[in-house]
Amino acid sequence: MSKKTLMAGNIAIAEGAILAGCQAYFGYPITPQNEILEHMSKRMPEEGRVFVQTESELAAINMVYGAAAAGCRAMTSTSSPGFSLEQEGISYMSGAELPGVIVNVMRGGPGLGNIGGAQGDYFQSAKGGGHGDYRVINLAPASVQEMMDLTMLAFELADKYRNPVVVLADGFLGQAMEPVVMREPVTELPSKPWAITGALGRAKNIINSFEMDPVNFPPRVKLLLRKFKKMRRNEVRYEGLNLGDASLVIVAYGSASRSALTAMKMARQEGIPVGLLRPITLFPFPYEALSNLAQRINDFLVAELSSGQFIEDVKLAVGLDKRVALVNQYGGVPLLAEEILEAIEKMIKQPVGG
Amino acid sequence: MHEEIAVAGFGGQGVLFVGRLLAEASLLEGREVVWMPSYGAEKRGGTVWCNVTISDEKIGDLFITRPTAAIAMNPASLVKLEPAMKSGGLLVVNQSLVPSKVSREDIRVVYVPANDLATELGDDSVGNLVTLGALVTGCPVVSTSSIIAVMDNLLPKNQRRLEINKRALSKGCAWTQGN
Repeated sequence: MSKKTLMAGNIAIAEGAILAGCQAYFGYPITPQNEILEHMSKRMPEEGRVFVQTESELAAINMVYGAAAAGCRAMTSTSSPGFSLEQEGISYMSGAELPGVIVNVMRGGPGLGNIGGAQGDYFQSAKGGGHGDYRVINLAPASVQEMMDLTMLAFELADKYRNPVVVLADGFLGQAMEPVVMREPVTELPSKPWAITGALGRAKNIINSFEMDPVNFPPRVKLLLRKFKKMRRNEVRYEGLNLGDASLVIVAYGSASRSALTAMKMARQEGIPVGLLRPITLFPFPYEALSNLAQRINDFLVAELSSGQFIEDVKLAVGLDKRVALVNQYGGVPLLAEEILEAIEKMIKQPVGG
Repeated sequence: MHEEIAVAGFGGQGVLFVGRLLAEASLLEGREVVWMPSYGAEKRGGTVWCNVTISDEKIGDLFITRPTAAIAMNPASLVKLEPAMKSGGLLVVNQSLVPSKVSREDIRVVYVPANDLATELGDDSVGNLVTLGALVTGCPVVSTSSIIAVMDNLLPKNQRRLEINKRALSKGCAWTQGN
């Protein structure tokens, strides 16, 4: 067995970034992700890499833009209100085809909200919260181990597609400690011939997201759309548990999926065959997997820490003729396994069509 | 095995550290574990809790609602923990600060004057380790030797702290054994 270390989710993100070869971190403090910034302020200088505590989230995301343009693996981390501020920069990065990792450890909202864990940024993050026709891959960890692993994957996918990648976690996972197997560090970073590194002896590279003449812009958007299509084809990730004999499937991601896992076990002890489908990527969303499940399963229970956002994609995937119920909390309050179990019991008691 | 442990008190009593020791010791013993703290504008004197789930299987819910074992370091914690306890569970009550008695009869209770015993050792601040000793002796979720191994690892630089923590732990163990 590999040696495991007890680690908080936020620290696992920071260490994952370092293992992935992150060369520059920029961030502005906000709870419940401050441990990422704090940890990076110590570890990045130890590794001889760049750490900047910026004056705002706007500065942070634009420094990521700059470092990415220079060919660095760069990241920022924040929580919901800060993530809103970063949307403009993320749109610019996608438009300019720049890789970068943005970690959002979601908290209660809207507004200043509170520092509890939540998933209320689903639409903003999975659909693209900035302006224009762009998408970003969203990776949603559900354990401290995945906080590390998906942060590493985020850097890889960002470079692969030259597009920002969001790690969408929540405050509960950020604060929780679990055993983690440390991964091997990435030693070879991909070459970036497109980066602005000084054009002596070669044709100059230009990085921008602007075209004066509207006629010239659609080709650029088309190029982006082709990449998003590739993401949809190649990057869908999800986990299915107990789907074989299930008559009801819970659909949940992130920390809500942890409560769902316990609820599933409790339901099975009562003899109710419940399965769990957990999207790991929110964009691209596992529409096809859910749609296939809907060919033989009629009941879907969506567990989310938001007021009915994630459920819209589930409904889209399974179709209007299926029963899709919602069990949720929002505003920074955890959703407990017992609440999900109650919703399961209620759903199976209701006659179909009733 | 599947245990859900709650530790509650006020800021400065070492509630999170006790949880950390339980979690690290469980990991040392090869189990799955989740350590979940309360977090926020915490301050010395404010309410603090953490829960630790220890299991042989993959753990779902990060939060616990029905503790199988718990430590109430102050009166406010007891008010919250007593009704939440799972039937048959073990509740350790810090008698130095909690004057009231538990009325439920379906749970096991150990009253331990943790701060008084800590003061006898010459350091009032290690009452948390006394309650931990009392807990793991009444409900062996982890072995005391694992806890000691974890402390050796976590507190290597301060031999005096390490020693007094160890003595407080064994004092708590002895208290439960003797009662």
